[in-house]
Amino acid sequence: MSETISSVVCDAGPVIHLDELECLFLLHDFKDVLLPEAVFDEVSHYRPSALKKLQYNMVRARKGMAGEKVLSTMCKLFALDAGETEALSIMEENPWAIFLTDDASARLVAEQIHYKVYGTVGILVRGIRCGHFAPGELLNILLSIPSRSTLHIKPSLLEEIIIKIKEAYRVS
Amino acid sequence: MKMIHTEVPEQLYKKAIALVEEGWYRDEKEVFSEAIRRFLEAHQPELMERFLREDVEWGLHGNE
Repeated sequence: MSETISSVVCDAGPVIHLDELECLFLLHDFKDVLLPEAVFDEVSHYRPSALKKLQYNMVRARKGMAGEKVLSTMCKLFALDAGETEALSIMEENPWAIFLTDDASARLVAEQIHYKVYGTVGILVRGIRCGHFAPGELLNILLSIPSRSTLHIKPSLLEEIIIKIKEAYRVS
Repeated sequence: MKMIHTEVPEQLYKKAIALVEEGWYRDEKEVFSEAIRRFLEAHQPELMERFLREDVEWGLHGNE
């Protein structure tokens, strides 16, 4: 079972958003952070500082040669960008990895193929479970999402998430 | 039709114009309308809410 958590395949969104929130260290939990070439280029362009912080366990990954036809058709139908398409192609070769994306379309495609897929918020909340944050610290980070990051979350939903975490950890 | 005035990155605009110049679209307005339509189809609020709730569940209780 440990094999299932050893690697994550990253889309650009979570890398950029976690860096904006100064939480990129949360990805150090994983054995490998597989970054497709197109994602590497995108992060280099928009958030170069993130790449330095990821050096610990980052692996630049080339997309698989096989390129399953169903996957490639779905990526086109859902108008996924190069990074998302490459990431899903790398998931084909690493089906036990977790795919990290904040893009709804990419997540939908990954879900259809039964990959494990989560986003920035999942990694942040996991940070409490894995002992990186006290609940109060995570709540402060979540509250700062609208002002410090480019991750878009509806305010009422963010409030709902915060309440859920307060209830789970009995924080008043 | 609603008229909007906005700024887009230079590279994005160039790519839109290239599609028009190659004859795929009549003008850049059509390109941007199509792009927005596709984005909105893929970003349905209920879907994004479900994904975020799943993130929280996994974050709190997941065992990977």
